[in-house]
Amino acid sequence: MAEVEKVDFTYADADKHEFEMAELYSYTEEPDFATNQVCFEEAAKAHGFEKWTSLSRTEQMSFVVSVQDDLEVTEKERRVKAIQALLYLAQGVYGECRSREHMYEVSRECVLLYLELGLYTSLVQLLAMEVENSATALMALRKPAVSITDSKELRYILNILYIMVETSRTCDIGRDASDSLSQKLIEAREMFKDELVQAIFGEDPLSVLLFTMVTRFCSGSAPHYPMKKVLLLLWKVVLLTLGGLHDLERRKNDVRELHGLPRLAEDMYTVCETMRPASPPASAADLIEHQVPRRSLRAGKRSLVKQSSLDDSFALSPRGEEDDDLMDGLKSNSDEDSPPTPPRPATPTVSHRTLPWKPKVRQKDLENFLDNTRQKFVGFEVKNDHTSLAGLPQPIHEGVKVLKNHLFISLSEVQIKREEEIAKNPLSKPETEVENSPPERLYHAMLSNLPQYMIALLKLLLAAAPTSKAKTESINILCDVLPDEMPTTVLQSMKLGIDVNRHKEIIVKAISGLLLLLLKHFKLNHIYQFEFTSQHLVFANCIPLVLKFFNQDIVAYVNAKNSIPALDFPENVLGEQPELTAENIESGDSHPHCWRNIFSCINLLRILNKLTKWKHSRTMMLVVFKSAPILKRALKVRHPMMQLYILKLLKMQTKYLGRQWRKSNMKTMSAIYQKVRHRLGDDWAYGNDMDARPWDFQAEECALRACVDRFNTRRYSSGGGLEPDFRPVDNNVLSLLGQKIELSPEFTHNYERWLHMEVFSRQVDWDQVMMR
Amino acid sequence: MKMANETAPIIRRNRPGTKNKDWCNWEDESFEEMDSTLAVQQFIQQAIRKDFTNVEEILNPPEGQDEGVWKYEHLRQFCMELNGLAVKLQVECNPETCTQMTATEQWIFLCAAHKTPKECPAIDYTRHTLDGAACLLNSNKYFPSRVSIKDSSVAKLGSVCRRVYRIFSHAYFHHRPLFDTYENETYLCRRFTQFVTKYNLMSKDNLIVPIMEDQQTLEGESEA
Repeated sequence: MAEVEKVDFTYADADKHEFEMAELYSYTEEPDFATNQVCFEEAAKAHGFEKWTSLSRTEQMSFVVSVQDDLEVTEKERRVKAIQALLYLAQGVYGECRSREHMYEVSRECVLLYLELGLYTSLVQLLAMEVENSATALMALRKPAVSITDSKELRYILNILYIMVETSRTCDIGRDASDSLSQKLIEAREMFKDELVQAIFGEDPLSVLLFTMVTRFCSGSAPHYPMKKVLLLLWKVVLLTLGGLHDLERRKNDVRELHGLPRLAEDMYTVCETMRPASPPASAADLIEHQVPRRSLRAGKRSLVKQSSLDDSFALSPRGEEDDDLMDGLKSNSDEDSPPTPPRPATPTVSHRTLPWKPKVRQKDLENFLDNTRQKFVGFEVKNDHTSLAGLPQPIHEGVKVLKNHLFISLSEVQIKREEEIAKNPLSKPETEVENSPPERLYHAMLSNLPQYMIALLKLLLAAAPTSKAKTESINILCDVLPDEMPTTVLQSMKLGIDVNRHKEIIVKAISGLLLLLLKHFKLNHIYQFEFTSQHLVFANCIPLVLKFFNQDIVAYVNAKNSIPALDFPENVLGEQPELTAENIESGDSHPHCWRNIFSCINLLRILNKLTKWKHSRTMMLVVFKSAPILKRALKVRHPMMQLYILKLLKMQTKYLGRQWRKSNMKTMSAIYQKVRHRLGDDWAYGNDMDARPWDFQAEECALRACVDRFNTRRYSSGGGLEPDFRPVDNNVLSLLGQKIELSPEFTHNYERWLHMEVFSRQVDWDQVMMR
Repeated sequence: MKMANETAPIIRRNRPGTKNKDWCNWEDESFEEMDSTLAVQQFIQQAIRKDFTNVEEILNPPEGQDEGVWKYEHLRQFCMELNGLAVKLQVECNPETCTQMTATEQWIFLCAAHKTPKECPAIDYTRHTLDGAACLLNSNKYFPSRVSIKDSSVAKLGSVCRRVYRIFSHAYFHHRPLFDTYENETYLCRRFTQFVTKYNLMSKDNLIVPIMEDQQTLEGESEA
């Protein structure tokens, strides 16, 4: 078995600022940096100064204001030059800087200036104009091969916006934020966030404009849109306006408290940090090789361990360390002769003597348990009674006590209950004011086209997946890496090859990050917003798509080195350029693993978990699409968080994989036992209800759909949050007469007869009517 | 009855039927005494009525006045008065003669009042821009109060100024006689130029209407 080292990776909302900046540019874009600089220098000369860095703040401001005026000039060339000059400033005026730090500092100052001067609106308007620009779209459609030059203007504008969003997002991350510039940036960021969620010209916010770009690109009507930049910007805009995942956990706890629920017992990220990665499961060949010694060595000990865990309470199992060794046992031989692994004593001795997660019980599980035992011991069921234990034996009392101790009520359950309540009592318990939070606004803005957005994102994800073949794609995501002229030398084509792979990886990263953020934020905001989104993802075949993505050499993907550090921004513009040779292209960067690829993998796994959790029919999709071997292979990446999410996915389908699978995958089974949260009374490992629960994908999804639709119509169609039957009757004469009523042509032709028959010939005793 | 004994309070109202010469013909009120929420506007309008040529005085804020509100109210006033110029322009500026919003040859502008900026004829540009400015300045979202204004909203004023100024420049370069008559009646362009220079809302090389006799010295000051 190939030796796989532990993966050193800390999950975060995004990579370090410098890498996130570098990933914005493709290597083909390099000549742009020089032209941007020239544009700025021309503009500077026209204003009578040479160095930006030597200007005073007011002079800088007046320069930017006058360039801003140029943005509205009809002459295109002049407008584009102004945009390029602004881009050069935002990038950090690298022509005048010697060091990275200096450059980032200048860039931060510029971003602050832009934010203060309200450049955002102008830029978004220009973006909208370029998006609508049918001339470039037509040109791109006619060309046999779309190249990077077709998206020039779009790229410049997207670059500036991205720099603004990303710089203000990270202005207090990983640095001392006490200096006055950071303080000002933080202040400006709050306003910027507010602006980002607001609609531009009463239509859509920036995020919806970007989503529109994505769908248009996928429909083929605008093949020149630089998708990578659009997706990166979209992801970062959502990240900035809705907040990161750590932030989300904090908010979730606050909302839980608001609803009178206890805070979460543990924080997933901290738990994952203390977890140790399991060694990967053996492949079939290895199993045969090692089976004999393992049995003889470990069998006795193992049964002992199991025994002891039975006496202990669930939260106190003395396993932790020991089991990890057990997991490592397989590869202990190879461990000794591999030098990079530190010797035994040096390994960190974090011994968590308990299971990492507090077991949970759902309300439903408790009810089931009570119903079953009552049926068995008393002989009848008592509905809606979770307290009385009359007639039940002592051990059952204890069982109920343990279950109640671990009872966990999720926010979603509260929200679903509330939804049912509103549906039942629309008048006495109507919906209270919905908080106009950023996720709520985003959902509302996306709602009408959400299915298309999801389909488009998945299409792009498919096109960018390393396993998909370039030829069969209906959409070409490479339009913003391909140069005008195809490379002629080996060196150039090597460079382009790396660039293309890097480009695809970045697209996957942005999409996976974006989808996970949307799902998580919508879920906290309202469960049915989440269900709506996730259902459309499922309908668009998200589950097989992610599995297809993982059906590759995932270890190689995680260790991929598709980058050329010397060409990354800002290395490519600061200081001397080393000669590009085949060697320094091939050597790649010095990082052992590829941050963005691990990040994408974890995101995709988390998305898959989100989609399938507690959804029987979707879990069955995992089984039907034969996900088990694919997932098992992905366990080879020795990263605790990634393994955790894989194990979760395996756990939910173990029941359906059959005895044989479980028997030959005991190592994976024990990893699940050890690392995934336990659900008390859950027979995931032993249950064999293959045939017991027939599954009907259609029925389940339809039932869910009905709830979601009811929620959407109630909350988002006009009528003030009431269902049509319960809206107040309009009895104002003027507004009733003002209503437009469609009449059929037959009626309009013969209305006189109707009048005669229905009105004139009928005798109405108006006095009687009034009397009533 | 009690009222009769005191000096009759000044009632500042233009009742229906007020003669032109009596229009707003009342004593000035000091800023401290203005107790309505529209005091700043009232104060500015009073200063203009008093002597519209004294631009310096009009732009001089009362002590302790919040700068954001001061800028906002002035811009509001500019837009209101610019409508007068727009009405006059309508007579001779039409989409056939002025097809583009242009001042000098190199200043042709896109109309930013649309989601996607486009080339509108000058008179349309004027109307769109003034409408857009009125919408923005009256928007409940950005300017919910006229007593205190968020910094982010104040930042929006710069763009309005830049766009509105183009109306002056178009009138100056293409409808000079009309511009001159209006300017002599109001000193509006002078006041506007001084206003944007004072508050750094526009860069001086974009102020292409040579209206200030002392524009040179002004430049010298701001650079110092």
